[in-house]
Amino acid sequence: MSVSSVSQDIASHLGSAPEISAAYFVAGLLGTVTFLTVMALILIYAERKVAAHFQCRLGPMRVGWHGLLQSVADALKLILKEDIVPYSADKFLHALAPVFAVVAMLLSLIAIPTSSRLALSDSNIGVLYISAVSGLGVLGILLGGWSSNNKWSLLGAMRAGAQIISYELSATLSVLVVIMLSGSLKLSAIIHSQEAGWWIWRAPGVGLLAFLLFIVSSTAEINRTPFDLAEGESELTAGFHTEYSGMRFAFFFLAEYLNLFVVSALGATLFLGGWMPFHIGNFSGFNAAMDLIPEFIWFMGKTAFLIFLSMWFRWTFPRLRVDQLMKLEWKVLMPIGFINLLLAAMMTLFGFYFFATT
Amino acid sequence: MKTVIVARPGDGNFVSRFFYGVKSLLTGMRVTFRYLVHPSTVVTQQYPENRKTLKLAERVRAQLSFTFDENGFHKCTACHICEQQCPNASIHVMDRKPAGSTKSELDTFIWRLDSCTFCNLCVMVCPFQVLKMNSNFESSVYDQKLLVYNLTPYAGPASSVLMKVADVEERKKLIDARGPYDGPTALSGFPLAGISKQVFPETTQIGAPQ
Amino acid sequence: MVTVEIKTKISSLDERINAMALQGESPLGTQEYFVNMGPQHPSTHGVLRLVLKLDGETVREIIPVLGYIHRGMEKKAETLGYRQQVHLTDRLDYLCSVMNNWVVSAVVEKAAKIEINDRIQTIRTIFAELQRVQSHLLWWGVFGMDLGAFTPFLYGFRDREKITKIFEETIGARLTMNYIQPGGLMYDIHPDFVKDVKAMISYMKPMFKEYDELVSGNIIIQERLKNVGILDAQSAVALGASGPVLRASGVAHDLRKIKPYGVYEKVDFSIPIGTVGDCWDRYSVRMLEMRESLKIIEQLIDSIPEGKHLTMKPGAKIRPPAGIYYEQMETARGIFGVFLHSDGSEKPSRVHYRTPNFHNLWCLTKIAPGGRIGDLVSIISSLDVVVPDIDR
Repeated sequence: MSVSSVSQDIASHLGSAPEISAAYFVAGLLGTVTFLTVMALILIYAERKVAAHFQCRLGPMRVGWHGLLQSVADALKLILKEDIVPYSADKFLHALAPVFAVVAMLLSLIAIPTSSRLALSDSNIGVLYISAVSGLGVLGILLGGWSSNNKWSLLGAMRAGAQIISYELSATLSVLVVIMLSGSLKLSAIIHSQEAGWWIWRAPGVGLLAFLLFIVSSTAEINRTPFDLAEGESELTAGFHTEYSGMRFAFFFLAEYLNLFVVSALGATLFLGGWMPFHIGNFSGFNAAMDLIPEFIWFMGKTAFLIFLSMWFRWTFPRLRVDQLMKLEWKVLMPIGFINLLLAAMMTLFGFYFFATT
Repeated sequence: MKTVIVARPGDGNFVSRFFYGVKSLLTGMRVTFRYLVHPSTVVTQQYPENRKTLKLAERVRAQLSFTFDENGFHKCTACHICEQQCPNASIHVMDRKPAGSTKSELDTFIWRLDSCTFCNLCVMVCPFQVLKMNSNFESSVYDQKLLVYNLTPYAGPASSVLMKVADVEERKKLIDARGPYDGPTALSGFPLAGISKQVFPETTQIGAPQ
Repeated sequence: MVTVEIKTKISSLDERINAMALQGESPLGTQEYFVNMGPQHPSTHGVLRLVLKLDGETVREIIPVLGYIHRGMEKKAETLGYRQQVHLTDRLDYLCSVMNNWVVSAVVEKAAKIEINDRIQTIRTIFAELQRVQSHLLWWGVFGMDLGAFTPFLYGFRDREKITKIFEETIGARLTMNYIQPGGLMYDIHPDFVKDVKAMISYMKPMFKEYDELVSGNIIIQERLKNVGILDAQSAVALGASGPVLRASGVAHDLRKIKPYGVYEKVDFSIPIGTVGDCWDRYSVRMLEMRESLKIIEQLIDSIPEGKHLTMKPGAKIRPPAGIYYEQMETARGIFGVFLHSDGSEKPSRVHYRTPNFHNLWCLTKIAPGGRIGDLVSIISSLDVVVPDIDR
């Protein structure tokens, strides 16, 4: 990965002395990590509040106003907590696994553009990069489950492995639809291709179907209910992170919520236009009115909507059984994905979508 | 016998099952969403903050306590019926015989919260309605020993005997003050008398039953 | 002197596990392994321990290991008077405490020939049915949670609270009630009792629709329960199952109908029966039973006869004549029976509890093998075991 484009931008204004550039690089990196940590804390708080109100509860109310500082307090507690490593665990891999999980998430976040100016790296294979790097996350889960030397953990890890690898297929199939329609793997190009309208409605039917496929398979990829078999609290006690405590557990927790953010951001970028405001073809007046809302707000709003959708699923649905999970992927989602891809291909070929430029 | 056969979900073909599934998932989501957008459905009680408005039913059994008449005297004649009825030996009635008298009177009424199962038998069998269960449920203390209470604030005869004594000063001579942790207990031979003064000098009043 | 040769080999847990391991043979040639599920496990509902032999995700064999919450209740009951031992039964199946109290009281009343009036019987019946609904509501919530849906758990508890409030108002306790005494009831009903019960019924009725929308109708629930853990009628009877577990297998056996006690013969209600005996049937039987229980309460609540709530002095001595007495009733989980051997003194010389969960649990060994771990969880939950009732 190259130096972030923002720091490049700023550096080009200030002169390109290498030490300044490096300083901005470090500042950018620290800023990103801080932003993501804060983001994860906010997400955890939001999840708890939303879950509480789904369940006729109030959720955290004690720490800070309406429990705003609850997740900060939890994070502090986890930092201070004793980190217990099982006696017969593979100590090195046990320590490595949470790092894998978090790093994979941080890496995939690099490629997501948050507005037209703010993108850490706008690689021309952005989508490919994200799907490759987010697959690394499963390595953390597998390592964690295996190195714990606990059968429940191992079961959870094996479930996660099978599940994530299977569902990556239909996630990719639904992403391919957008790639085909926009004709690019570059995320900024995909967003620009949605200037006349988001793919979810501009490609009639196909876009929506691909979006739904993406939502389902990405929920499975990030191990959230109804696909939380890897953790499966009532079945596997806590699945792959049974033997984790303290900060290492917090890393898995952080990774889980960052994962949620990455997947939602990717979904927003691909199907809902990313930072692109809501445009309808050539209605320039309407489009100009929509442009008044900042791009960053558009991006965060769409991501927040998808995150909410995911929370909504989580607090409504029960968990699937492990064989039903595989059945759903290979017998339902995959065929639908293939047919959808075929339709998308024909649509692209004949320009049979709204506001086609060709 | 009147019976009903329970319904079973249809097996159906794959396609109809698929659409039924999508519909059922959306129905479920509607239920939870309705609660999300109606904050009035929240049932959470914020306990320590709502102490003032918290209303428990009057029959709630949380602590055993004595009832007193308008002069502050109890009616206990130390008849030991509650002690005999208690299934867990949580009650020990310690009586005394004042000098020159043949009738015994209540000295201390030991009640062990730590072994009480709140079965209410003592309250039911009491012939003089001395005992009652109150709803003061906040009975946690920092030491298990502090869960052994003396329920009576004074040692002395029942109010029926006391009220026969017209002179107030004379009455006061008949009774001796007792604290919530006063009195010996028969259990295991551990002396509990004066435990509050020796071991927990400041905590004498904390957690004492009302 | 006749000596009896014991032919059954009583083997230790280790021996049983070793015997199981030798049989292991998987079609894929993979290694089978053992896992301890419990005593600390979220879905064994307390301290039940299951030794599982697994082949990947598939359960091959299962040994329930009991005794983690054994408190010697039956022995303890021998040291207590007939009135005092009622409160022990609160702590067997803590979700059916009033019904357990009723059985002990009934057997003592039968033994000591204590007369009770219609008012007592009606109030007892109403409370038993209230508790059946309460118990099933808790089960419904926990069942949802075991299947991975957390929200039903809180909805179940929220609605259960409405009934618990009624208990709290009249009895003064929420869980360990000790309400039904030999010779009557601990308290007469609260003046607001009738009003509150009616309010609860009108609140609960629309809630069942919501439960169906949220859980029963859900495709994932249906697919996870259908044809999972099939217990056929013959095995159910052979294993001694009772209550909803037995009825879900298609056996129309309910003591409230077969041998009516209380005022059950006066009320009109039906018994839900399953056809297949899988988890879905056990689920639906309980869901329908809640509705039937509300129906029973509705019929009785307006016509509680007048009378005393206690027909004898609370402190009066109970000395049943020497003999053997047995009484059983239908609790929310099945048949709870109390066997009493009296030697004519104030204390029983032997007490035995026939608890429904102990028998229902063993159905697990019959129906769980062959399913996945996820199936095992839903089977345990659908059997609705309460562990203190198993161990006593």
